[in-house]
Amino acid sequence: MNLERALQTFIEESRELLSAMEDALLALESAPGDGDAINAVFRAMHTIKGSAGLFGLDAIVEFTHVAESVMDRVRSDEIAVDESLIALMLRCRDHLVTLIDDLASGQQGEHAAVGAALVQALQALLGGGSNATVAVATENAAPQPEAGANATTGEGVGNDAWHISVRFAGNLLRNGYDPLSFVRYLATLSEILHVEPVTDALPPAQEMDPEECYLGFEIRLAAGPAQADIEAAFEFVQDDCSLLILPPHAPLTDYALLIATRPEADEQLGALLVSCGALTEAEVAQVLSAADATPELVVAATPAPAVAPAAAPAARQGREATTVKRSSSAIRVDASKLDQLIDLVGELVIAGASAEVMARRSRDRNLMEANSSVSQLVDAIRDSALRLRMVEIGETFNRFRRVVRDVSQELGKEIELTITGAETELDKSVVERIGDPLMHLVRNAMDHGIETAEVRVQQGKPAAGSLKLHAYHDSGSIVIEISDDGRGLDKERILAKAQERGLVAAGQTLSDQEIYGLIFQPGFSTAEQVTNLSGRGVGMDVVRRNIDALRGAIELDSRPGVGTTVSIRLPLTLAIIEGFLVGVGEAAYIIPLDSVVECIELDHGAIGQQNYLNLRGRVLPFLRLRELFHSRGQPARRQNVVVVRYAGQSAGLVVDRLMGEFQTVIKPLGRMFRHLRGFAGSTILGSGEVALILDVQDLIRTATERHCHAAEIAAECVETV
Amino acid sequence: MEQLTLARVEEGRHGEEEARGSQYLTFSAGGQMYGIGILAIKEIIQYGGISTVPLVPEFISGVINLRGSVVPVVDLAARFSGQPTRPTGRSCIIIVEAQEEDEIQDVGVVVDSVSGVLDFLPADIEPAPAFGTHIKAEFISGMGRVNGHFIMLLNVQRVLALDALLSNGSAALQ
Repeated sequence: MNLERALQTFIEESRELLSAMEDALLALESAPGDGDAINAVFRAMHTIKGSAGLFGLDAIVEFTHVAESVMDRVRSDEIAVDESLIALMLRCRDHLVTLIDDLASGQQGEHAAVGAALVQALQALLGGGSNATVAVATENAAPQPEAGANATTGEGVGNDAWHISVRFAGNLLRNGYDPLSFVRYLATLSEILHVEPVTDALPPAQEMDPEECYLGFEIRLAAGPAQADIEAAFEFVQDDCSLLILPPHAPLTDYALLIATRPEADEQLGALLVSCGALTEAEVAQVLSAADATPELVVAATPAPAVAPAAAPAARQGREATTVKRSSSAIRVDASKLDQLIDLVGELVIAGASAEVMARRSRDRNLMEANSSVSQLVDAIRDSALRLRMVEIGETFNRFRRVVRDVSQELGKEIELTITGAETELDKSVVERIGDPLMHLVRNAMDHGIETAEVRVQQGKPAAGSLKLHAYHDSGSIVIEISDDGRGLDKERILAKAQERGLVAAGQTLSDQEIYGLIFQPGFSTAEQVTNLSGRGVGMDVVRRNIDALRGAIELDSRPGVGTTVSIRLPLTLAIIEGFLVGVGEAAYIIPLDSVVECIELDHGAIGQQNYLNLRGRVLPFLRLRELFHSRGQPARRQNVVVVRYAGQSAGLVVDRLMGEFQTVIKPLGRMFRHLRGFAGSTILGSGEVALILDVQDLIRTATERHCHAAEIAAECVETV
Repeated sequence: MEQLTLARVEEGRHGEEEARGSQYLTFSAGGQMYGIGILAIKEIIQYGGISTVPLVPEFISGVINLRGSVVPVVDLAARFSGQPTRPTGRSCIIIVEAQEEDEIQDVGVVVDSVSGVLDFLPADIEPAPAFGTHIKAEFISGMGRVNGHFIMLLNVQRVLALDALLSNGSAALQ
């Protein structure tokens, strides 16, 4: 395997683990007793340490080791989870992120001081406890106090090292584990004094299944690591191995139990233990004679700690559960492969449609039935293929928990973040590009929007400010709302500032929406003080540009003293949408069904040349798509109006034909048409033809702009005359 | 289905390659003979199935569904002379790989008929004249000599560099 690529995997995995660790730490803040979260933090440290060891990244190994030790003590309830611990672990996590980033960029930053300070803080937590757990993995010489204690019980054997006895289950190899890798990992914990392979289970060559694992090991490991560390080495194969760990100077009865529980012949195992150096021949003889006499008694009399796997069943279960979750969420697929799959499925749908036509023409009942079940399956495949690219927005939202926590501390404000609609799905490519704009908005809300606790209390609001992130699907788009209950926008100040900057002419009257829109202008900021968070006049215009690039829209609503809500409306690119197929001239177009309200016939007599109609007492402006698109051919005798609604605005679209509902896959129109406005994309119809998807929002917006523009020109003409 | 897929060799910049000797697909569009280096050509398909796109210049015939991907189609005759192609039974769409910045996009080119593949030695290719042709000199990578007359060898990348043109053309909606 290419080491460079393996390293890349390590970097990616570490980043994932660190972000999981952050989530877990933040979860701990609200629920300090959450065993899963503690385990998640522990596992992140542990796994990074293990993998870093493979690459010889000593700095990371040493650092994670100390953090892991602390978390291990937390797991065993020796260290309490409190605010200071969470803060410390968060800082450790950040430090690791820097280390990993350095590794990724190939640069060597100077973070030693930060690391040393953190290690010191962690060591302080570990306090005067066993120095064996504090010791860095590579140091193995430290004598263990507990081991000494064991020795004094008198029953202890002379062996001053750990003894590990492991038998792997037959399916170990099939599950993708290499028995040797565990031995190698143990070598990173401490010095392996001796390894004795146990091959008794190996059948004769002709009966051997090469995919079956028949191996076991008797390992003598120099004292130093804690039992939990050794157990953790086998964490991933807990179900696939039988593990016994005997501490240094373990009582002889433990070894008796070991010999009794293993399937191998007692004498033979005894010999193995001798050659391993775990027992002397005299000790083996003693064990064997005792075992012959009263094996049951030995089992019963065995002190509990020796039976390692049974020691902490609850903790184990927790770990198993999280391990399962991990494996189900960790398939990495190249996005282009998914696109290719979706293209192929699209073709399959079209091919299926023409097969169905053929089947119907043949009038062969059986063929038709078979074909219809095929097309059902094809539909199901298409749906799941499309869903592959969709991700929940929750992951993006959760990033802000940390941001809100840190920023509110920095600002000395109390801010509570509420997240709703985290399960709302949108395309991965959109998710990736929405993070930065959201970050700006969240920071803005915290910095400018929410007041300090004193001001809030004075105004009769709760001392803690509230910040809400909310996502939902609406009219074929996803809406993300960021709302705060702060002071709201100051219209007068925005207007004054805009006039000062020359963005608005003096005396010009603007609607509230227009005034709020001004803050998205480049170089506009009303913050009196420039903080390091926001207020530098970059931000809102960048947000606007990013959202525009995603063909989305941003709106702002604010009430003085009550709060501000920013809503971002984004298209679900590449999502499957329900469309309404209409014909204009010779071409077919698709209107997203979510935005369609109703269809009515256009009454030419009553309308004449005007472009609005009376819809149950309300004025409905409409666009004649034939004229807009310069369509050729004769207009239909009976034209229809499709009433569409977008973000609270209603409008009509006059079309020639209504062709019904159609489920469609959005295909991007490609670079060549990126300047083309009014279309959200294209799709392929059952007939194989391409139909364009109308962007209702864009159509309404451009129509409005054009109208305003025309009115201005008309006004100018009047003036010049 | 009349579909012939031509072998395609890995190469970087079609434009430069064409000036040197190699194989060219010759075809007629708007009554004129042209050639395109075969390295830039993916396949040739029968004319048909074009969906029009409103608000674009006339030389863009529309888009087609090429096995699941939406491919824009350019009418070469309309591009050069403003006269749109009248489709006949022999009309074809040549699928060309057009490179724009660092992205490769397939573009269809409507032609009246495809003639065949000709070998041009470097000695057979004359530089494009500064004037005298009915299309802009920058569209021509060279003039191929065949039996005493010339075939215009096109610089496909220039001809299909539609980005700039479309940004003006599609202002119609605004």
